[in-house]
Amino acid sequence: MIHALEARHAPVVSLWVWYHVGGRNEVPGTTGMSHFLEHMLFKGTTSHPKGDLDRLLARYGAQWNAFTSEDVTCYFETLPRARYEAALELEADRMRNALISVEETEAERSVIVSEREGLENDPSFLLGEELQAVAFSRHPYGQGVIGSKDEIKLMPRDGLYGHYRRFYAPNNAYVVVAGDDDAGRLADMAARAFAEVEPSKDIGEPPKAPEPSQHGERRIVVRRAGGSLPIVMLAFRAPRASDPRAPALAALSVALAGTTGGGDGASGRSSRLHRALVEKGLAADVDATFQLMKDPFLFWLDATLRPEVAHAEVERVLLEELDRISRDLLSEEEFARVSRQLLASHAFATDTVTWRAFHCGRLLSTGAASSIAEWYEKLAAVTREQVRDAAAAVFVERFRNVGWFVPEAAD
Amino acid sequence: MIRVERRRLDNGLRIAVAAIPELRSTSVLLAVEAGQWFEPAGHAGVARLTAQTMLRGTATRDAAAWADAIDALGAVARLDIGAHAAVFSAQCLGTDLAALLELMAETLRTPALEAADLEFVRGQTLAQLERDERDTRAVVDRVWRELVYPRDHPFHSPGIGDAAVVREATVDEIRDYHATAIRPDGALLVVAGGTTADAVAEAASRTLRDWRVSAPRTDRATSAVSLPRAVRRAEIVPDKTQCDVLIGWPGIPRDDPRFVAARVTNMVYAADTFASRAGNVIRDQLGLAYYVFSGIGSSRGQSPWIVRMGVNPENVRRAIDVALDELRKITVGEVADDDLALAKDKLVGELDVALESPGGVASMVLEAELFGLGDDHFERYPKALRSVTKDEVVAIARSCIPPDRYALVVAGPPLPEPLA
Repeated sequence: MIHALEARHAPVVSLWVWYHVGGRNEVPGTTGMSHFLEHMLFKGTTSHPKGDLDRLLARYGAQWNAFTSEDVTCYFETLPRARYEAALELEADRMRNALISVEETEAERSVIVSEREGLENDPSFLLGEELQAVAFSRHPYGQGVIGSKDEIKLMPRDGLYGHYRRFYAPNNAYVVVAGDDDAGRLADMAARAFAEVEPSKDIGEPPKAPEPSQHGERRIVVRRAGGSLPIVMLAFRAPRASDPRAPALAALSVALAGTTGGGDGASGRSSRLHRALVEKGLAADVDATFQLMKDPFLFWLDATLRPEVAHAEVERVLLEELDRISRDLLSEEEFARVSRQLLASHAFATDTVTWRAFHCGRLLSTGAASSIAEWYEKLAAVTREQVRDAAAAVFVERFRNVGWFVPEAAD
Repeated sequence: MIRVERRRLDNGLRIAVAAIPELRSTSVLLAVEAGQWFEPAGHAGVARLTAQTMLRGTATRDAAAWADAIDALGAVARLDIGAHAAVFSAQCLGTDLAALLELMAETLRTPALEAADLEFVRGQTLAQLERDERDTRAVVDRVWRELVYPRDHPFHSPGIGDAAVVREATVDEIRDYHATAIRPDGALLVVAGGTTADAVAEAASRTLRDWRVSAPRTDRATSAVSLPRAVRRAEIVPDKTQCDVLIGWPGIPRDDPRFVAARVTNMVYAADTFASRAGNVIRDQLGLAYYVFSGIGSSRGQSPWIVRMGVNPENVRRAIDVALDELRKITVGEVADDDLALAKDKLVGELDVALESPGGVASMVLEAELFGLGDDHFERYPKALRSVTKDEVVAIARSCIPPDRYALVVAGPPLPEPLA
């Protein structure tokens, strides 16, 4: 599928290729395979030896990268308009022709271990990974994305290549492009570039591992010396992106913690959790996140505590606030603020060519909406009642997963 | 190419606008010469404490009312202390620009700066400092600065400041810093995005025209910094898996005529994990690190010029040796024509790509205006990048980032062998 958008304010094009493969498509023993494979797509093809793609894109001044999530693996480059065709050629080429040699697999293995070790330095990552694992008993979302260190070390080259040949194909991908040209022309060029790429005959059915209903709170404690401030994290089962409640859940996250993700910013301070936790001196920062995902995932809340503040106290206040927002309507004035933040942040994201294309691809790949305009309309149509009802449906004790990070003294 | 329209208010505030009519949003940067460079000696952290306390309400609105007002616009805003400037940055819809500037002006001109506000900010800052003590990246940054800059230098401490200063700062100190440093002369308002120069000028005039500061500006004497030899330090941060490695030098001021050549040298050497030599060898060829990158700061002073890597303790020694070896090659003239061309292509190409976002445009305009790079900067800058020669790159590497005179800090798990 090809989706093109005009963005005429800068002489650039942003090309994104989304593959429907991620942590969701993996099984125990080879967790992290999709992410490992993402790295290998920069290691050369039959036409472009290793280093060729990096240097070409650098030469064009491109902003480029790739990421893997639970649902998708995605590659993008934003570059001068005149180089769009070259970017298409690179992406079409690596869709089927990556080498994934034994030598390069071995060389990249230590880089991926290093990436994982960098993440392990962060207590929030450690706690989040453990909490996600306990929140899912069957669905592969519980495995996360990067994989365990041991499985990265054991990842077989042939397994990677099989994964590649199965999932990297035009019949398992979205191409989204935004840029300084007529949308029809951008789409036609992309269609031509990918027209001859061989489809996969082996994609199979989307993974089916429905998560059984949760029947009670699950709770973990991570104790490490690698952080100095305590953390409380809550993760509630939440609907998938295509659920009609998804826009209201997006608004709910803004009502709880604003749009900027905590920290020392000047905005988002009117949000419920900032006022209840940060302004009261209980937390250094607090965040709430609802992600658009293919399958039912999690609504996350996390608070980094001020030193000496008890976990139980912050958890109690968090739960009180969640109960309040599940029970009572936001005031009209508060809801107007939330709605404005939600819609303005949508405008900010889509005013950048790269993020316009990303946003569109995310909506399409998760089934949240068929276009940016449709998603905007859905957000604009959210009511106070829908926010309250979405909160009441999600913030339920038996769907709750609780994690505490407890800093320990160094030996 | 960026087209900038400039205005100036009577109080000295300069205004630079890059209109992008196709966009709904605007990126706003209000920079005041109140960054680390202007902080009084021995008071590292006062600038940030002042900035954060300014966000706690004004003469006419308490903290809650101010927060309500900015969130009612849907704006995203923050006030940061940089090496040179304190920058109030925000993104808002173009239609809300006047209302946003009113809130920003109120914060700059009439902050409440009450004792209770300072206590709140102090608590938050001390919590962050405590978090930083177990953050390998924050530790290497702090220790590296202590090794490189003398105690009385503005860059001796990170922007968050010294814990002792933060603990002891008084409301009077904060108010005094606000009264002398937060001023329109030397300040600059940059707006890029869906607005017009006239609209910005009108809104700015309405809210900032009467902004006057009579207190004299206190200049801070700062001596030149150089490293006479290599210094190395390892800091153990408990219970970590990976080491943060920082190799660096005191850089050169933004108005140094060699600065453009320094940017090219930086790109040839290590700026980009994939396009530069250090990353190419350390990550791509040897698999020793996930990230390797370098940066050179823009300020009036010698901002840090640093290389960063995240490395397993077993590989630290080798990664450092390779990073320095790649630098050594540059200093002896081993710069392939293609590597130099690639570095220049990338830096020039990035200028076009940065036009995709109002934030990218605003950042480029801010640098050009803040350091007086000239009205025709955006015309000259790509040509200046293109004209950098291999000899200049070699000379810059030898004089500014010598491979035998650097400061190196590693923070993380214990190393299998000593650094020295």
